[in-house]
Amino acid sequence: MDNITKMMVINSSKVLPSDVVIKLYESNSDVMIKETCFGVMVSGERAVVDKLLSETRKMDPYGIFIKERGFAPGEPNRCRATRRGGARPGFHMLETEERILPQIAEGLRALDKGEIPRQKMKKKKLELEKLKEIIEKAEVS
Amino acid sequence: MKVFIYPTNSLILSDLVERFGHEPLAVMQEISKRVSNPGLDSPPMNITPEDPKIGLKYAAVEVPSGVRGRMALNGPLISKAEAAIIVRDPVVSFGCMGCARTNELVNFLIRAKKIPILDLDYPSSEEEAKEFVFKISQFLKSLGQGEKK
Amino acid sequence: MNSSENLVRIAQLSCGAEYSGIQAEIDSAAKQVNAVIVYPEIDIKDIENIEEEFGLKVASSDLKLLMARAKSIVTGKVHVDAVFVATCFRCAEAAIVRSEVRRYIHEKTGIPVISYSFTERTTAGTLLTRMEALTTTARRKSLLAREKQSGLTAGIDSGSTTTKAVIMKDNKIIGKGWVPTIKVLESAEEAYNAALKEAGVKREEIQALGTTGYGRFLVGDHLKADLIQEEITVNSKGAVYLADKQKGPATVLDIGGMDNKAISVMDGIPGMFTMGGICAGASGRFLEMTAKRLGVGITELGALAMKGKQEDVKMNSYCIVFGIQSLVNSLAAGSTPEDVAAAACHSVAEQLFEQQLQEIDVKEPVIMCGGTSLIEGLPKAVEELLKVKVIVPDNAQYIGAVGAALLVSGFIRPRI
Repeated sequence: MDNITKMMVINSSKVLPSDVVIKLYESNSDVMIKETCFGVMVSGERAVVDKLLSETRKMDPYGIFIKERGFAPGEPNRCRATRRGGARPGFHMLETEERILPQIAEGLRALDKGEIPRQKMKKKKLELEKLKEIIEKAEVS
Repeated sequence: MKVFIYPTNSLILSDLVERFGHEPLAVMQEISKRVSNPGLDSPPMNITPEDPKIGLKYAAVEVPSGVRGRMALNGPLISKAEAAIIVRDPVVSFGCMGCARTNELVNFLIRAKKIPILDLDYPSSEEEAKEFVFKISQFLKSLGQGEKK
Repeated sequence: MNSSENLVRIAQLSCGAEYSGIQAEIDSAAKQVNAVIVYPEIDIKDIENIEEEFGLKVASSDLKLLMARAKSIVTGKVHVDAVFVATCFRCAEAAIVRSEVRRYIHEKTGIPVISYSFTERTTAGTLLTRMEALTTTARRKSLLAREKQSGLTAGIDSGSTTTKAVIMKDNKIIGKGWVPTIKVLESAEEAYNAALKEAGVKREEIQALGTTGYGRFLVGDHLKADLIQEEITVNSKGAVYLADKQKGPATVLDIGGMDNKAISVMDGIPGMFTMGGICAGASGRFLEMTAKRLGVGITELGALAMKGKQEDVKMNSYCIVFGIQSLVNSLAAGSTPEDVAAAACHSVAEQLFEQQLQEIDVKEPVIMCGGTSLIEGLPKAVEELLKVKVIVPDNAQYIGAVGAALLVSGFIRPRI
């Protein structure tokens, strides 16, 4: 049986991790649930976890992000408490990504509204002739 | 379709690929396999000294063991990949993505596969994030329905 | 080992340890010396600013994390007793970070640091001597600060090839004993008795005894030693003491009969080292075989080598089998014994360079010790190869015994 752990990272003004936990418990699914500092972790059979999480995400599709996790919740090699302080490296990665979740949420909202974003212009390096011109002007003044 | 993501441990990419109906190939799945293998020591360590040897498939013994060990995780994902989304300049990426040499090799191998690839810059504003999400959705749509589970 | 002593908190600053599959080995080695591994807490902002602050730009983010954790120790955000810096062998970027972080922590805090470059073949056994040296430095800081021997003490170095003993009194060596190691305890007794005899003192008069080397536990238990210490710490101390270079950086090269050590030392305390034993071609045994082939005693080989020119002898291999064969062939082809002796010294020096010095910065002064340092041709060959001046202190072959006698003088208790 394919048992997995998925984490829900919650960055929402509508729902709190505790709300999500209650919703998960209400489902009566055969899964293990753990609330964490960044959201919730859910372990169980892949099909069950996938279905439950995509249902739960509907609470706030723009505020709940999901990814799989290699280790089960509370794994001593990954837990801060047993590592005596510092977080596992993956935590800092999550911390970094968490900061732009509001912008990604905006992107998703715009997509659902059918907005087509403006293409960003690539910055080109200044042409040599132009640079030469600027230097010559600077020398004169 | 099975979509390789880079950074391989990215929450955002993993989430978006799944949201838009495809299967993200993330390094967490490889780690999970190792952790749940009952043959390993207790407490389970996700990588054993055997992994850098498996990594010899991708790089010779003169390449540091940490690179080869990471390749043992990334290699199976690369071989399964049917498409890839690559963020060119992720701000910081740690752990499985913490070694620059491994990342160069992963990037090379995925490009050498000649599968559909979307290259993106890491967004630094709301406008850019909109473009980021839009491009990913368009790319994934262009791959068709694939094998959505 | 040391299980009754205080728990030591060792901060692990590493890149690639887990991915090389050796984290369990590190944890196990730490446990054996009654230490725990700690990962210093950092803030994500620390990582973003660390390159600017530390002044070193790196491509790998786990190395940024490593530097940020080092800073966390230096600023006192986290309390640790010792630091273990480890990165993958053959990673150039990491080697630079490792060396600079080691220096940074040493200079800013004085917390003992050991650095190491690992492969997937690194085992807890390999790490144990390092962890032992590290925890010793942490637990016995005041002992290691000792720069002079006092009272009447003895040191025994039970090596794999020879056993050495010295008696020291008021910072002077007054007796020496040197015997080949046959049976560990008997040879130790013999060397100890010889040293006592030369010093003209009785065993009961000795105020404290220290042991080191391979047989340190056995000999230490048997003679009820006050200090039983691994050879890295002891030899570092012994070398800087004998060469009178106790402050600042130094590099100690100890080519033994069967085993080599290259130690990078700071203020008499080891920071990074390699221990050999893989290749007999890099050991005193190679020179011993050469001497036998030339029909001279090992003590005469050095003087012979000083007169020869190694360039005139072609060697196809460093190997103790094939290399010696090359030397024999050269003799048959008309080379002089002097040239062959010089070539043998050069071969050992080159092998030392290939095998031992890959991970060590060669900072001057370079101090050579151990029995082979007395074969003059060898330090000369090392000088030529490394482009440095090599110091061979008096009594260089007694380095371990002197180090032990010096350190153990800190254990003298007033006797009733």
